[in-house]
Amino acid sequence: MTSPRTARRLNRILAMLPWVMANPGATVDELCDRFGYTRNQLVSDLNTVFVCGLPGYGPGDLMVAYIDDDEVVVEMADYFARPVRLTAPEAIGLLASGRALLSSGQGSEALRSAVDKLEAVLLPAGEDAVVVELPDPPLVDVLRRAAAAGDVVRIEHTSVASGRTTVRDIEPWSVFGTLGNWYVSAFCRSAGAERVFRVDRIRSAVATGERFEPPAEPPPPEVRYTPSEDDVRATIALGPRARWVADYYPVEVVADEDDRLVVRFSAADPKVAARLLIRLGDSATLLDGDEVEAATSALRAAILARYQDDR
Amino acid sequence: MQKVIERALNLLAFLLTAGRPVTADEIRTTVAGYGQAEDEAFRRMFERDKDLLRRLGVPLELRPMDAWEVEFGYVIPDEAYALADPGLTDDERAALLLAAQAVRFGGQAAGPDAILKLGGAPLGNGGEPLAADLGDGRFLPDVYRAVAEHRTLAFRYRGRDRLIHPYGLVHRRGHWYVVGPEASDPGTVKAFRLDRADGFDVGQEAEAFRRPSGFRAGDAIPEAPWEAGPASVEATVVFDADVAWLAERQLGRRATIETDDDGRLVAVVPVAGEQAFLGWLIGFEDHAELIGPPELRRRFVELVAGSPS
Repeated sequence: MTSPRTARRLNRILAMLPWVMANPGATVDELCDRFGYTRNQLVSDLNTVFVCGLPGYGPGDLMVAYIDDDEVVVEMADYFARPVRLTAPEAIGLLASGRALLSSGQGSEALRSAVDKLEAVLLPAGEDAVVVELPDPPLVDVLRRAAAAGDVVRIEHTSVASGRTTVRDIEPWSVFGTLGNWYVSAFCRSAGAERVFRVDRIRSAVATGERFEPPAEPPPPEVRYTPSEDDVRATIALGPRARWVADYYPVEVVADEDDRLVVRFSAADPKVAARLLIRLGDSATLLDGDEVEAATSALRAAILARYQDDR
Repeated sequence: MQKVIERALNLLAFLLTAGRPVTADEIRTTVAGYGQAEDEAFRRMFERDKDLLRRLGVPLELRPMDAWEVEFGYVIPDEAYALADPGLTDDERAALLLAAQAVRFGGQAAGPDAILKLGGAPLGNGGEPLAADLGDGRFLPDVYRAVAEHRTLAFRYRGRDRLIHPYGLVHRRGHWYVVGPEASDPGTVKAFRLDRADGFDVGQEAEAFRRPSGFRAGDAIPEAPWEAGPASVEATVVFDADVAWLAERQLGRRATIETDDDGRLVAVVPVAGEQAFLGWLIGFEDHAELIGPPELRRRFVELVAGSPS
């Protein structure tokens, strides 16, 4: 197996050669900038090209590559005049990355035309064959700019777990999308700690006019659920139609039987489990968890209060 | 590394100019870098070089040398080797590179190597505070290839072996789907989540099916979970003013919404998947009321009550 470094070096040579041949007069600086070379790396690659070529390997068979007064010259290498096609991982990687940013409203006009052109050659018969969508909630851009500028932002946020709405001042570090949602990771001044907020749960975000110094190394942007001592716990039996819950919630499987899956569920707020239990109807049974049982009864009563004439 | 690069460049130059299949033996005696090797050493070097070239995207194929198929030789078909040049401008390359840096697949970036093939671009500063992860990308290249080249896909899904004509590849609501009909039932387009299969076999034959013209992959996956399939009922829901903004963000484009004088949101929502819709509504707790139709309202009350009322 060849090392990734060797593969990347060969890839760069096979990309640089066609460019030089198609753009006579290209300078060392331009190539370094465009292909991420240092001057020494470029010289080394040109020297390698210079000793390679066609069988016979004499002066008339080898490629010619040298630097002349800061201009890079390549000759006798017509067979490398065109870059290698994209691999499947490269093609879908670029297409999906571009489409993803465009769908979320974060792409430029240049990106739109780039992706359109790329798709025209990669999927000539397949208009709309590859669709990549990220949600596009308002405020992604506001928060991204605030993070870049170091602006403190006052947000009005409704918690997914408890449904409570709070107003907080946060120092936004980064905005990231994962699992179909956008999040902002931040230092929350109100909580005095690091927090991750779902952007679609932020109703408004306004800069306070204060600035903050971003941390030298912000923690990696990721959604973490770390069970804590204060969490509410419940044991729930899931029927066959409710087994999907185990894929969507951080649960611990206690028993996996033919007709039911028993899981231990923990959440920051009992309402998370209460909503789930009501939703699952007779596909789920609460086996253990007083707090969750109380929350479920309370939630049933609260919702039914709006429908009392029906009963 | 230096020797490997030189040998690979010589091998590639030879194959690109040979204009005919060449045997491993001919390569060994002709291409610089192999000459001195013993049998076993040559075999290892050659395997490694083929692997290297293929990884970069070089279509290195083995073809019969004659009609009797006694001997086989290596060939790089000219038309398959070269990049179809999309003709990008420098601004477009830079934008594409930025996108490739911002987007991850289960933590992995698409990487800048592909941009080099397209003509390179100055590397942006890595300080952009925006990143998106599209989830595990393991199966994407196989599925993409089948979609792009109209090859069949075989895989196991929900306990059954499937053979489909993949019309499209869709990422929506955090998941990747391949959409298309099963070969046995070409009229019914289905959607399969990639992370629910444990691998995909791409068919040998390109252009194995025709994709209906005007097919839009995005239409095969509902925008909201309750929009799967044709809507069977239109639900009317009132959302209280304090959650109106949240409801408005989550309702699909197919819903019609109005705000009344008190700031409440009145939404008419086409519903295909009743369970998904009622489940979603429970998330609004007592801040929303399902007005009608009466049958649906009755079933919602039953669900919340936990027993038939």
